[in-house]
Amino acid sequence: MTKAGDWQSYQRVLLPPVRNLHHLDAYRAQGGYDILRTIFNDWKPEDVTQCVKKSGLRGRGGAGFPTGLKWSFMPPANPAVPRFLCCNADESEPGTFKDRQLMEFNPHLIFEGILIACFAMSMKACYLYVRGEFSSWITLLERELACAYDANLVGTGMLGTNVNMDIILHKGAGAYICGEETSLMESLEGKRAYPRIKPPFPAQQGIWGYPTTINNVETLACVPLILDRGADWFAGVGAQTHPGPILYGISGHVNRPGVYEYPTGMLITDLLEIAGSMRGGKKLKALVPGGASVPVLRADMIEGVTMDVESLRAAGSMMGTAGMLFLDEDTDMVAFLRRVARFYHHESCGQCTPCREGTGWMENLITRIDDGEGNLRDLDLLLDLCDQMEGRTVCALADAAAWPVRNTIKRFRNDFEKRCRPAVWAGVA
Amino acid sequence: MADFIKNPVVDLPDPDPAPHFSEEELVFTANEKAEIARRIAQYPTSDGAVMWTLWLAQDKFGFLPPEVLRLVAQELERPYAQVYGVATFYTQYYKEKKGTHVLDVCTCFSCQFCGGYDILDYLERKLGIKRGQTTPCERFTLQEVECLGACGSAPMLQVSNGPYAHNLTPEKIDVLLATLENGEPLPFVSLTLPQDEDQMQGNRRSDAEAVEAYQVPPVAKLTS
Ligand SMILES: Cc1cc2nc3c(=O)[nH]c(=O)nc-3n(C[C@H](O)[C@H](O)[C@H](O)COP(=O)(O)O)c2cc1C
Ligand code: SF4
Ligand code: FES
Repeated sequence: MTKAGDWQSYQRVLLPPVRNLHHLDAYRAQGGYDILRTIFNDWKPEDVTQCVKKSGLRGRGGAGFPTGLKWSFMPPANPAVPRFLCCNADESEPGTFKDRQLMEFNPHLIFEGILIACFAMSMKACYLYVRGEFSSWITLLERELACAYDANLVGTGMLGTNVNMDIILHKGAGAYICGEETSLMESLEGKRAYPRIKPPFPAQQGIWGYPTTINNVETLACVPLILDRGADWFAGVGAQTHPGPILYGISGHVNRPGVYEYPTGMLITDLLEIAGSMRGGKKLKALVPGGASVPVLRADMIEGVTMDVESLRAAGSMMGTAGMLFLDEDTDMVAFLRRVARFYHHESCGQCTPCREGTGWMENLITRIDDGEGNLRDLDLLLDLCDQMEGRTVCALADAAAWPVRNTIKRFRNDFEKRCRPAVWAGVA
Repeated sequence: MADFIKNPVVDLPDPDPAPHFSEEELVFTANEKAEIARRIAQYPTSDGAVMWTLWLAQDKFGFLPPEVLRLVAQELERPYAQVYGVATFYTQYYKEKKGTHVLDVCTCFSCQFCGGYDILDYLERKLGIKRGQTTPCERFTLQEVECLGACGSAPMLQVSNGPYAHNLTPEKIDVLLATLENGEPLPFVSLTLPQDEDQMQGNRRSDAEAVEAYQVPPVAKLTS
């Protein structure tokens, strides 16, 4: 029995098989918004946070921070000081495409999660920050949100109580860095999205200086399920230390890529089988288990590894966003890393010298190796560069750039050495 | 004057470029003003509406030259420098005039290994331009972009900050270009999830403009 339990008979809950679930009627026919009403009538805000804490829910946005704990960082409610929730739908981590599907197929679950979170933390408004590229999905969200407003599920005097809450859509404009929570706040404030130094943390000083909590779309979508079915149910799904249903975004050289919903703690090998195995019967060479920022794993490192924080850490990687990229035996790891470095170079906001310059040099060096003009010492220069970048910047983008570079070189050193010029100049030897 | 000021390392933008739009064109209609006011009301200060207003301005004018940015700044009563700063930070705001249709081909890592560069290459040859350029007829601009959040249906592209086209093949691109050249709108395509294909025999939405059945993606040849 794996950590995911009896996953073969797993019934989906984030994206249950219900036709037109994205319509309010279909969602309500499934009992949608019932738990919200119950909570408004019978629950105390602290109890909601407590329940989320007990469920063991960890953020699905990348860092995997316990959600209930994050909520409890909010200062005591003071009616004179507004406070905000931000729902992070920036989803720009390469290899990640789950939030988009959730927004398309089950938007009301997200809205309901937002409203419950607002209740738990005594907030009156939530900004739903969607990346600008998702304009078609923003239109869809706008339409469904209008339906929710019309049905008095959001807005003034919602559900016949005297509570007012608003959900406000914000459209980004194409910058990966806006997914970082403090950068997202700057972007909401209509500025260049330069991340802020922490502390102060968002719970103390967030958007416009007011207490703010930021959660990922999928995290908030889990909340109504937890309150509805109970913290114990949630804690019992999947891996003990990282429980719950989760959306795996599988891409790359597999036969059936796409978003799959299963419990956490699935064996990577099982997921590969679910995704139809490798294309053309090829062998697996490498796996990126959670978006571009996490260290890549070699095929021989995934035996027995499950998709949860603990197991992946032990294997030498991270959970990230559970956006899994499978690469087959023909993959050129130098080209892979060159493209990853290019991504970070392009997306660095430029505030910190180690990141702005470091990502550029990374790209230059790897490009040189890819072009067959690199020297063996460039590899060590790259590793040194990673050390110089990590932990020295305002936000984690520099770390996110250093991790894949360091680990790809370490774990596929042969591939890189083969592409470099020999250590000794032929004319001298 | 220091040398680097006389001979800057990078080209500095022209401080006072000739405007593209006349004074008469540079106005927001009453409807647009109402829309902007509605957005401003959703934030503690008018700063929050900067991004929405830039989107509105870009939809109206097609791109955002300095005079349009000034108009946005005036409307929001924010400094020009702030609006200029925001417009130049985000890639989706066009600072220059683009073709009628902008093709944003994703070549980020999932797409890279599923043929994103082959698609880009095919488009370059078909349109006779390089990435980053606009065709002489000003119909198409071709760009290479970072992950668009649709890696499961790679290779893919986005048209003019709007609809996505998934699971691309050269044949599919030919159809796409013909559709655009005929001036027809591209539909929003709802992709079927693999599990929905198994459990619901197809897409769960009955209101999508177009539906793409779940398919084993076309295998493109590999390039780096
Ligand atoms: C460079 C960078 C990019 C990020 N991008 C995203 C993103 O696109 N979506 C997201 O939900 N979180 C992203 N995060 C994580 C957020 O900062 C934050 O941890 C998360 O939204 C918190 O939500 P959660 O606790 O529900 O996971 C990013 C973090 C960093 C450092
Ligand atoms: S680490 Fe990079 S992205 Fe983050 S604030 Fe510094 S320069 Fe910007
Ligand atoms: S890598 Fe192309 S959409 Fe994600």
